[in-house]
Amino acid sequence: MISRYTAEIGTATLAAGLGLAAVIGALEFGIGWGDAGPESGAFPFYMGLLVVGASVGTLVQATVGRKGLQSVFLHKEEAVRVASFFLPMAAFVVVSLLLGLYVATAIYLAFVMWTQGKYRLVVSVASGIAAAVGFYLVLEFAFQVPILKGPLEAALGIY
Amino acid sequence: MDNFASLLHGFGVALTTYHIILMMVGVLLGILVGVLPGLGAPNGVSLLLPLTFTMDPVAAIILLTSMYWGALFGGSTTSILFNIPGEPSSVATTFDGYPMARQGQATQALTLAFLSAGFGALVGVILITVLSTWVAKFALRFSSPEYFAVYFLAFASFVGLGAASPFKTIVSMGLGFAFAAVGMDTVSGGLRLTFGFNELLSGISFLIAVIGLFGIGELMITMEEGLRFDGIRARVKVRDVLKTIATLPRYWVTLLRSAAIGCWMGITPGGPTAASFMSYGLAKRLSRRKEGFGKGQPEGVVAPETADHAAGSSAILPMLALGVPGSATAAVMMGGLMIWGLNPGPMLFIERPDFVWGLIASMYLGNIVAVLMVLATIPLFASILRIPFAIIGPVIVVVCFIGAYTVAGRPFDLWLALAFGVVGYLFKKLDYPIAPLVLAMVLGDKAEDAFRQSMIMSRGSLSIFWSNGLVTTIMLIGLALALGPVLSTLFGRLTKPKASSAVA
Repeated sequence: MISRYTAEIGTATLAAGLGLAAVIGALEFGIGWGDAGPESGAFPFYMGLLVVGASVGTLVQATVGRKGLQSVFLHKEEAVRVASFFLPMAAFVVVSLLLGLYVATAIYLAFVMWTQGKYRLVVSVASGIAAAVGFYLVLEFAFQVPILKGPLEAALGIY
Repeated sequence: MDNFASLLHGFGVALTTYHIILMMVGVLLGILVGVLPGLGAPNGVSLLLPLTFTMDPVAAIILLTSMYWGALFGGSTTSILFNIPGEPSSVATTFDGYPMARQGQATQALTLAFLSAGFGALVGVILITVLSTWVAKFALRFSSPEYFAVYFLAFASFVGLGAASPFKTIVSMGLGFAFAAVGMDTVSGGLRLTFGFNELLSGISFLIAVIGLFGIGELMITMEEGLRFDGIRARVKVRDVLKTIATLPRYWVTLLRSAAIGCWMGITPGGPTAASFMSYGLAKRLSRRKEGFGKGQPEGVVAPETADHAAGSSAILPMLALGVPGSATAAVMMGGLMIWGLNPGPMLFIERPDFVWGLIASMYLGNIVAVLMVLATIPLFASILRIPFAIIGPVIVVVCFIGAYTVAGRPFDLWLALAFGVVGYLFKKLDYPIAPLVLAMVLGDKAEDAFRQSMIMSRGSLSIFWSNGLVTTIMLIGLALALGPVLSTLFGRLTKPKASSAVA
């Protein structure tokens, strides 16, 4: 269980970190006055500062109003639901990069239908493959947009 | 009547069989993304945009704007039938639309929603027709400092008028600008903020951000809440529709007021969501039947729908005439215009009048097409939501990631989309507004260029931002909008000195 307070602090710290990254990254390129006006780091530098400043503001607000933020941010069962959605999705990205988007689509759909939709394995796998083929036809033929492919497509001679 | 002649010319451009078919396709796709959870107007337009890169700009913008209308209508459909807003801007429609549907008045609620939405959109488009040339002509006097001031005004109004904490709005906006800065610097041509990653050399596309923030983030929220579709079966009977049309004039006050609110919020970047809530709130406060609201009051459907669509369509005006989009979806479309090689802003009216007026004419036609199509296809789309989420959820995920890949054909973008999804989820849950981030990403380079050119003009002195009446006025309005809430609380404190000073 995560309280709203923890979530606020965590997100604000993350945002401040991103802002700081912009500030540090911008310093490398100069934030002063160059031959052609302001140097290229100037704008991102001040934007980064703005983010850091506003995040500190959020942190202060959250700390001061801590009592009002004790509500639950994420229940256990909610966390389980989000994880059961997020983890297969993250796995889908990894598999896509290894095997291409079409194969990953088929595996991902089949897996989710089988484990979470409680469909029979045969039905799930068939639907997954059908969906992948459907996407293939729509993208490569109707729109002529090639997307990321992997070893399977190469073995089949499809580019 | 210069505009009227131009508009007729625009109809000549827009009224071809090909364009009408595109409108119908766009509206259907739009209703689809509007109905599906996790896919909304900004996200749908982002997904479709890479597929239009090779099309003629006029045809492409007609397809995208039609999708926008369709998405707005689709969002209202699920609000009424399922109590699930398909779009953030149709949340207010659930308050009375769903109760109406439960009382067996689904057809009435839907018809009222679509017709008032159509009315709102029409008012928005008429406003564009009348004002756009004037605004564009006015904007021709703008040079860099004025443009920077206009951008400042747009973001200031987010900070001041938004419901979220001003700190969070600033964080969202600043991050957007920082993301936009990654990659090539448009002024010097050098690279920056890539931190040694080759993947960041070509920058972070705003389309990836939209797909992640609006699509994947939204889906995660939907999953967390646990999905339950208690749909109400709707069969649209022609007689009921006609009867409802006859009752519409009864709500003329609500219609006009809501359209005015919508247009105002659309032109200033308040956006459709704020407009629909504001309009609902006002309708409730000013109604003689206050206690009926929330229990199926027809005005409770008319008010948010009119404002939503009026804002949605009038958001196109500042995008076209000034190059400052009034909503997240308009921001995505403006990004599209720039990708097609068009430069949104006053010069567009001079360089590409066929494009501008073709677009405006297509907005009239597109909305009529949308109202007709949505009435005809509701049962079909409502049945889509009865497909189990274990099937439809992963399909939406796949569409989002394929969409992310088609933007530039870079595998790294898949990771970016996932990361933006997590950010979108956290931001949504913690009430960080997302629209400023998207707007900042689209406007980032333009705002920075405007700033740097102003600085060059003034040799580094900020005083250029109050060097003439025009730029000073815009800056002052911006400052007043941004600081308005702070000043009012400050004055409140001064009059009540005992109150503790909570925020340092």
